[in-house]
Amino acid sequence: MKATKITWSAWGLIAITVLYMGFLIIAPVATLIQGAFQNGVNALWQSLQAPALRQSLWLSLQIALLVVIIQAVFGSLIAWVIVRQNFKGKWILNGILDIPFAISPVVVGYMLLLLFGRNGLLSPALDLFNIRVAFAIPGMFLATLFVCLPFMIREMVPVIQNLDRQQEFAAETLGATSWTIFSRIIFPQIKSALIYGMTLTLARALGEFGAVLVIGGGVQGRTETTTLYIFRALEERRTTDAYTASILLGSFSVLIVFLADWFKRWQTRKSQQSVG
Amino acid sequence: MEISIGQTQGKARWPALIIRVISILYVLVMIFIPLVVIFQDGFRQGISEFWHQITLPIARHAILLTLWTSALMTVINAVMGVITAYVFVRYEFPGKRLLNAIVDLPLAIPTLVTGVMLVMLYGPQETLGRFLSEKIGLNIIFAPPGIVISLLFISFPFVVRAIQPVLQDLDLEQERAAATLGAKPCVIFRRIVLPALIVPVLSGSLLSFSRAVGEFGAVVIVAGNIPLKTQTAAVYVLGAVESENQLGASAISIVLIAISLLVLIIANTLHKHWGVHR
Amino acid sequence: MKKRQVLLGLFLVLLMLTSCNNQEESGNEEEVKLILGAYTTPREAYRQIIPLFQNEWYEKTGQRVVFEESYLGSGAQSRAVVNGFEADVVALSLEADVNRIQEVGLISHDWKDGSYGGIVTTSIVSFAVREGNPKGIGNWVDLTQSGLEILTPNPNTSGGAMWNILGLYGAALRGQVDGVPGDDADAAFEFLCDVLGNVSVMDKAARDSILNFEKGIGDLAITYENEVLVGQQIGQAYELIIPTSTILIQNPLAIVDTSVDKHGTREVAEAFVNFLYSTEAQEIYAQHGLRVVNAEVAAAYEDQYPPVDDLFTADYFGGWNAIMTDIFGEEGIYTRAILQVQGATQ
Repeated sequence: MKATKITWSAWGLIAITVLYMGFLIIAPVATLIQGAFQNGVNALWQSLQAPALRQSLWLSLQIALLVVIIQAVFGSLIAWVIVRQNFKGKWILNGILDIPFAISPVVVGYMLLLLFGRNGLLSPALDLFNIRVAFAIPGMFLATLFVCLPFMIREMVPVIQNLDRQQEFAAETLGATSWTIFSRIIFPQIKSALIYGMTLTLARALGEFGAVLVIGGGVQGRTETTTLYIFRALEERRTTDAYTASILLGSFSVLIVFLADWFKRWQTRKSQQSVG
Repeated sequence: MEISIGQTQGKARWPALIIRVISILYVLVMIFIPLVVIFQDGFRQGISEFWHQITLPIARHAILLTLWTSALMTVINAVMGVITAYVFVRYEFPGKRLLNAIVDLPLAIPTLVTGVMLVMLYGPQETLGRFLSEKIGLNIIFAPPGIVISLLFISFPFVVRAIQPVLQDLDLEQERAAATLGAKPCVIFRRIVLPALIVPVLSGSLLSFSRAVGEFGAVVIVAGNIPLKTQTAAVYVLGAVESENQLGASAISIVLIAISLLVLIIANTLHKHWGVHR
Repeated sequence: MKKRQVLLGLFLVLLMLTSCNNQEESGNEEEVKLILGAYTTPREAYRQIIPLFQNEWYEKTGQRVVFEESYLGSGAQSRAVVNGFEADVVALSLEADVNRIQEVGLISHDWKDGSYGGIVTTSIVSFAVREGNPKGIGNWVDLTQSGLEILTPNPNTSGGAMWNILGLYGAALRGQVDGVPGDDADAAFEFLCDVLGNVSVMDKAARDSILNFEKGIGDLAITYENEVLVGQQIGQAYELIIPTSTILIQNPLAIVDTSVDKHGTREVAEAFVNFLYSTEAQEIYAQHGLRVVNAEVAAAYEDQYPPVDDLFTADYFGGWNAIMTDIFGEEGIYTRAILQVQGATQ
């Protein structure tokens, strides 16, 4: 699409946009980066080597990866059901699905506490099996799972809607098994959306804070994710540690989102080429 | 045994049924049950006690603060989102690609980090913060403007990304035709572009509003959490949880959930009735 | 073909992740885990004390102690333990927070039984002011200055906040505040309201409060003496003002019976608790701004901790049980005061 001619008013609008984004997004990010280097590169390097930071990164990653895998499977399943199936009460299912996106993380953690806390609904059952959920990693995992629910589904639904059913029917009449249809016809078409959804989920899971704070307690050495590590570093006046960890976490998330974005555009270009 | 996916009759129903049951169970366990638990807890002492909790001066203020800061943010975000999307779709200028990529930045950055960055930039001891405070009397950190700015940061991508595809698909020809017929740019904008944008703007805005209402990570760092001044509903819930005010925590949580649900229902209805692609 | 690869990959990843999770639960004879739940202020002290204890324990038994620490506002921490946080040892800001844990049956022994009555450190309620004391703060009465911005945490979650209120109210009741007649509950109540009216930020915990002060918020922070001293030690430029009359903050320490029995860590926990009363540990507390209970160390650090003209304790109010009802209960003095103040500013 050709761009329109740039007039004065156009430049005005561009200027507004650039200024707005500059103040809103770029300035804070720049300040963060500058803040991390405030005490010199050495201090930054030291911060990066803190064992507590590594522990927290490992914990964040573990939880996030597990969440991503599970959401990839279940999210796709649910998206499939929503698009391809019709049944009574489907609208309820559809409606509920966006809720985790809008619910405050604190409320999420609190709901889990009501279920799994010492006086919680499920605590007798938990005591029976000697499982700890609240103030332990399983609780944090569940909280993260909850908040990430919509991402996968929202990515997969449009893509499943656009699937080429002709190919599926053709394959069916030719006697292909469900698995073959899935792996040969369906999967290639949903692959990029799947990856994009998984990336968004990963970024969201790594950045989860409020919910894991409430259900996990931020216990150093046990339930401290990177976000909680940052929070604690701020409380202990270790500002370089806090800013360094923030940049680490932020850059990683940004990187994977950009990569996924680029991948998505590359895939669309590829499919456009093969079609056009 | 050969089973087909497409068939909905006869022997081939069971894989479809299985995934349907699994999906429903998953959603039930993951979403429905926690919601039920919190609703039941909030109303456990009856509606009057629930009402009492949410009308306590501090709680009421927290809810109202949350609502107006989110609403203000939504309006600003909608306007700036339209302008930004328009600029990206219609014009070419140096640095556009980079700027376009930056739009997604807030989605990736953890909210806690957002709060940290804003305090670093606008805190009372920082150059900018002190300048604003002394010269203009504008306090950003530990005051409502800080809340609005952090919400703006987080919600920025929503409206922009909702509008961009719609703008891109908009028939440029219509606009050109109107231009050759002598219509002024603002008329073109009003008559052709704007109507097409109403639904994505609304849906993006509703999304950002419902997201903002529940925001915690950025706000807890930036706002100072002063009851009756800068304490939002989400932070109030945290305080209630930590001070064992279980009923208060549940009650306000329910209000937050209700607001989000309402907004989501409105947004979904918009989608269905005007059938706009995402 | 692809299917099997994908499934295998997923399976391996899951296996790896779950096995990594299980690592911590393995009953390793050479290693034992101890969980500490404390309030926010003494974290720097514990950071130094814990390695010392780890060394001592290792030398004595050849076993490594791994610590998991959590620092929250005293009230918040206490409730976390009640809600399921399985701390082995709790070091909180006030007795009532330990009593809460005892009341639900998690502590089954008399934790006050011992030569120090279960109190491991003490401090006093004091003020942190800006360098040069620009507002001329000398005593409690100065807190009612018009336009003064005071920081004090929220008593709902912070133990330090409760101590602050008690110091404030107690000094007034004892006639130690200029212009407030002694033994006059109404006058003391009005004084409390006046000061609360000047409070601009109420944080979750004492540490959060002083951090905000450092960020440039407020003119004065009411806080633990040790919080101010620790800040000064790392270079903060604020000044410490000790009022003529203030309350002695007594910080309790206790073992949580259900946790240590469940984790099998009673021996280590008891050793840790004993260690905290030792000269070594008490010395570190003293170096981090705390007034200690160990007489020897207290004498050595006498110069750093000047005596207070009129020092009173929680007993002045009839003990913590009475305090929780009379002052912080639903009809309590603080509750009524804050409602009155906030109602006025609406």
